Amino acid sequence: MRRRRPSASELITKINVTPIIDVALVLVTILLVTAPMLSIADLPVDLPMAHTRGAEDERNVSVTLASNGDLAVDRDRVTPETLRAALTLHLARSGEANVLVVIRADSSIPYGRIRNLLSEARAAGAKRLAVATRQTTEYMP
Amino acid sequence: MRRAKTPGAPEGIHEINMTPLIDVSLVLVVILMVATPLALQSSIALRTAGASGREAAMRGQTERVEITVLSSESVRVNRTVVPRTALAGTLAPLLGGDTPRLVVVRCADDVSNGTFVSVLDEARALGASNIAVVGR
Repeated sequence: MRRRRPSASELITKINVTPIIDVALVLVTILLVTAPMLSIADLPVDLPMAHTRGAEDERNVSVTLASNGDLAVDRDRVTPETLRAALTLHLARSGEANVLVVIRADSSIPYGRIRNLLSEARAAGAKRLAVATRQTTEYMP
Repeated sequence: MRRAKTPGAPEGIHEINMTPLIDVSLVLVVILMVATPLALQSSIALRTAGASGREAAMRGQTERVEITVLSSESVRVNRTVVPRTALAGTLAPLLGGDTPRLVVVRCADDVSNGTFVSVLDEARALGASNIAVVGR
C-alpha cells in the first residue's frame, strides 16, 4: 500500500503530543522522587549545620521537634504523652525491623529534650537512630 | 508596520508558542525550590545507648574516646577539659590511628542541640565512625 507523500503546501493539522507526554513523564518522575522527602511535618525547624553526611536511608520515620515545642511523627502532630504510641504505630506500619528513626530537632532545643526523644524512640522499638542535620559546604578549619 | 502577506501562501502559526514552555519551566522551578532544602538534609547515625553501653564495658578504656560536652564553650575529652574551639586539635591525635575507635558522647542537659551536633560533626570529620550517645 503506497502512502501519499504530503505536498509542501499542506499543513500539519494534528497536534504533536510527544513533547507534552515527555514533559508529563518528567514531572511524574520528579514528583515520585520528591514525595518521600515531603513526608515530614511542616513545623518551624532550623536544623543544626553539619559538614559530614551520615545515615542515609530513604525509608525512615522522622520525629520532629520544632523551636516552639511542637512535636510530630512524620506528618502527624503528637503530644509528648502520645509520642511513644504514635512512634510504635509508624514503626509497625513501615514493616521493617531496622527502620531508621531520625530526630529532627531545632538547633536551639536543649539537649535534655533530645535525650528524652532518643529514649522514647528506643522504648518504642527503634533500633537505628540518627539526628538530622543540614548539609553545609562551608570550610571547616 | 504591518507585515505584508504573500499572496497564495498557506496561513498557519509561524511563531513558536512559548507559553507551555514557560509554564512547565515555572513548575519545575517551584518543585526544585521546595525540594532543595529537603535534599540538603542529612543525619548523623547514633548507636543505641544500651548496645553501646554493653560494648563500651567490653572494650578497654584505651580503645574508646569519651567526649563530654559541658557547655557551649568547654568540652571534656577523656579526662582533659578543653575549650570547645580546641576540640579538633585534641581529638585528632586520639582518632588518628588505624583502628576505628568508639567515640562515646555525653552532653549536659542545657547545652543546645546545635552545639551537640557540632561536636558529633567534628568527631565524624576526624574519622570517628562509631558514635554512641550515653544517657544520664
